[in-house]
Amino acid sequence: MAITFKDVAFTYQAGTPFATPALHDVNFTIPEHSFTAVIGHTGSGKSTMVQQLDGLALPTSGSIQIGDTTMDAETDKKTLNQIRRHIGMVFQFPEAQLFEQSVIADVMFGPMNYGMSKADAEVAAKKALQLVGMPENSYEKSPFDLSGGQMRRVAIAGVIAMEPEILVLDEPTAGLDPEGQQELMTLFATLQKEHNLTVILITHQMEFVGEYADNVLVFDGGTVVKSGTPETVFADSNWLRERQLDVPAATQFADMLQAKGMPIEHVLDLDQLADQVVNLIGGPTDE
Amino acid sequence: MNKLILGRYLPGDSWVHRLDARTKFILSMVFIFVIFMANNVFGYLFAVAFVGLSIYMTGLGIKVFFDGLKPLAMLMFITTLLQLFFMNTGTVLFHWWIFTITTDGVINSVVVFVRFMLIIMFTTILTLTTPPLEVADAMESLMKPLRKIGVPVSELALMVSIALRFVPTLMDEAESIMNAQRARGVAFNEGGLIKRAKSYIPLLIPLFVNAIKRAIELGDAMEARGYRDGEHRTKFRVLQFTKIDGVAFVAFLIFTIGLYATRFI
Repeated sequence: MAITFKDVAFTYQAGTPFATPALHDVNFTIPEHSFTAVIGHTGSGKSTMVQQLDGLALPTSGSIQIGDTTMDAETDKKTLNQIRRHIGMVFQFPEAQLFEQSVIADVMFGPMNYGMSKADAEVAAKKALQLVGMPENSYEKSPFDLSGGQMRRVAIAGVIAMEPEILVLDEPTAGLDPEGQQELMTLFATLQKEHNLTVILITHQMEFVGEYADNVLVFDGGTVVKSGTPETVFADSNWLRERQLDVPAATQFADMLQAKGMPIEHVLDLDQLADQVVNLIGGPTDE
Repeated sequence: MNKLILGRYLPGDSWVHRLDARTKFILSMVFIFVIFMANNVFGYLFAVAFVGLSIYMTGLGIKVFFDGLKPLAMLMFITTLLQLFFMNTGTVLFHWWIFTITTDGVINSVVVFVRFMLIIMFTTILTLTTPPLEVADAMESLMKPLRKIGVPVSELALMVSIALRFVPTLMDEAESIMNAQRARGVAFNEGGLIKRAKSYIPLLIPLFVNAIKRAIELGDAMEARGYRDGEHRTKFRVLQFTKIDGVAFVAFLIFTIGLYATRFI
């Protein structure tokens, strides 16, 4: 399902003395089966946009098209559950949403809410728990007895078990150790490729953007200021720094080498950098 | 939830904002009793003028105060109606079935309505112009005498200020958990009573669990910073009465005397 935002604006508590505009003139399209990264300084409107995407808040003006459903200010709130069915949302610190008595029951909760039978939900839950790497002996444990990292996995499994077509991740790796972060990111990349998901990732870690994304949206001051492939977005590091963002470390290093006169092309991650450097120093010895 | 103005603080720099929180606290409490001295039209007009002037002095605009009345409108309305229909003394104006409207009923309902409005508006001044933590400080300071009879005043004040500090945090958290569960297909506020109540379990359990976790973390952090017990602590925010507090007290005294005087008109 492709996603299109058309002239979307959103104001919190519109019509009260506390009204705060959060989004304005947001226009973008996220193609089907893409891995889209959303970056932007804290408070630039990324998370507000995500809430719009799932119909948790309706736009004050403009419209949002997801697949063949359209949402705008007039959409009946009761129909939104149907839209949500196809969108899996992993919010920041999703471990805060666990509540059931056992891990498996918590993972089954989402699918059953959307009408799956108990038996089907159990199959889906076991599959999802396997995908996130939870050992089988933990299924009957209370989610509150798990470690923070494991709770995060269970929460993510609870979203994956709903078999969404679009997976939205709001800083899924925040607060995890480097190994846990890498494992999760690999999982999301695999899901996107093998299960044909559309993945939308909100992150502050440019390394992940460079490594996994094929499409990037840059938010600043409540609107999209740039969109395109990681190559085009990371081409101008000064422009990004003005918006309190940065390029991946590998790109930074490549830029520095380039400034010293090395013939290095645009680089997004360590692998690409290593390949180019090997080519560069290996090239002459081949003769 | 967001439209509720009661207990909200609106920053500003008016004279009322600069008053000592204790002054505002005492005057708000005393006002509730003083207002009952009014017993005729002149008294209420005088009180309306005084409250109006106080509201004007906050520099916040009257609209905010009327918004504050909205959540309580139903209560005010019902009380007024009860007064109107079930007051049986005075000249009968209208009679139907068990409902009787009398002159006393009309007068009383108007009086109850005006009193309600004045009390709510005047006490809203305190919460609108004083940061919640200052209100807690004021309560602690005013409760100090109770220490002599063994009330743990500092501990109570600490609990109040921590509770106040975490109200917005918990509200944000409730909202984000609610969103997360809605994304997992929970329909809040739909269906019958039992279904509705059940739909709140996925919100309440995480909220409690997180509150307990937070309490443990906060306790540890406080101990690590050397907090032992409520005794022998110095204060960072010191409340201080200034000249304008004197002016406020004098103004209120004049109002009280004036209101008392209207009884003899």
